[in-house]
Amino acid sequence: MNSTPALLNRVLLTVLGLILLGTGLLLVLVAAVPSVGPWWRSWSAGAWDAASRLFDSTRFPGRPESWLWIVVAVTLLALMGLMVAWIAQQGKGRSNLVASEYDPGTIPGDVRIGGGVAEHALRQALEGRPDLAGATVTTYEVKGSPALKVRLLPRPGVAPHLLAAEVSGLLDALESVVGREIPVLIHIGAGARTRFSRAERVR
Amino acid sequence: MSSSVESRRATTGSRRSNGPDMRRVVYRETHSSRAVVSVAAAVLVLLLAGYGVLESGVHAVGQPAWLIEPQVAAQRIVDLPAGIPPLLLTAIGAVLAMLGLVFLLNGILPGKRARHLLGGTPGEQLPAVVVDDEVIASSLARRARLAANVTPDQVMVVVSQRQVQVNVRPTSGVPVDPDRVLEAVRDELEQMLLEPAPVPRVNVTQSGVIGA
Repeated sequence: MNSTPALLNRVLLTVLGLILLGTGLLLVLVAAVPSVGPWWRSWSAGAWDAASRLFDSTRFPGRPESWLWIVVAVTLLALMGLMVAWIAQQGKGRSNLVASEYDPGTIPGDVRIGGGVAEHALRQALEGRPDLAGATVTTYEVKGSPALKVRLLPRPGVAPHLLAAEVSGLLDALESVVGREIPVLIHIGAGARTRFSRAERVR
Repeated sequence: MSSSVESRRATTGSRRSNGPDMRRVVYRETHSSRAVVSVAAAVLVLLLAGYGVLESGVHAVGQPAWLIEPQVAAQRIVDLPAGIPPLLLTAIGAVLAMLGLVFLLNGILPGKRARHLLGGTPGEQLPAVVVDDEVIASSLARRARLAANVTPDQVMVVVSQRQVQVNVRPTSGVPVDPDRVLEAVRDELEQMLLEPAPVPRVNVTQSGVIGA
């Protein structure tokens, strides 16, 4: 529920995957198929000639180096910057506030309610339930508005829909306390093992 | 404060329409994240680009190359099948292609997690609920066990995206009615209103368990 850019990740991974796959297959073909060798040599020699002519024509006046190298370096630096930005986008979105709003009452100022309120209230309410092995509540920021994620770890055999209905009653109560509607996602999980297995079997 | 609460309750009459982006949130929860692979890919590109910056920067100011002169490298690439053992070249190509395939598949495959979306009881509006398949399976197993009147060891439930397979091993000498078990499981599934809705199937094994 964080703001990891899912589509961007997929697009960039696909592009990078295609490039790497193409390069790898080309290398394999050049090495393994004899008829590809001459074709590759003629094609790449032509490309390299064009590139080196370009480098020759863009020299600094009076020096052997081409200023195109600086362009290359700057482009690669920009690429590095983009990559760092891409990494920084992953897994963002946790926040600390459940509500933050201008109070229209007589006292001037804003009202801010921290995520700890929701967390503590729900944990208190869920504590001591025999059908729950654990519960965590985290506050996220989805597109600028706060949202709650409630993660429940029920004991084996608990009916998930009944549990969800009861917890949503608690959430209703929380909302009337906080005084504002918060989008909520309830995740009823079975622990970390589920990440690795696909078909779920239970005796 | 309280007055604004009242008005908000009134305006958003149907509670928990859950905002426009709840579907995105649910999608994120039911599909696995590509964050780790993305970071790996980004680091790979970062390393390559970093080396490129170093080499081209060194070249631009006219210093001797760090590892290899770009012209020499390009020349080597141009006459490629020569100058390197073909086996090594094939191996490098295969490794690159493998890596590319991993990234490509990560980018293309749906990557569904073993989770279902809970529709909730009609009329009673629930927040978005995502349930791990294992939880569904254990809930169904309990219901099937009670319907078949056997011990927990004798029931195994497998939940997949579109199918629920219930395996019951009856106690020797005590017949189990598969229709009753199926009805119980179906009833439980109807209450859950899973999305996508799986189809239950019950399989009662021929051989029973002795002394259970």
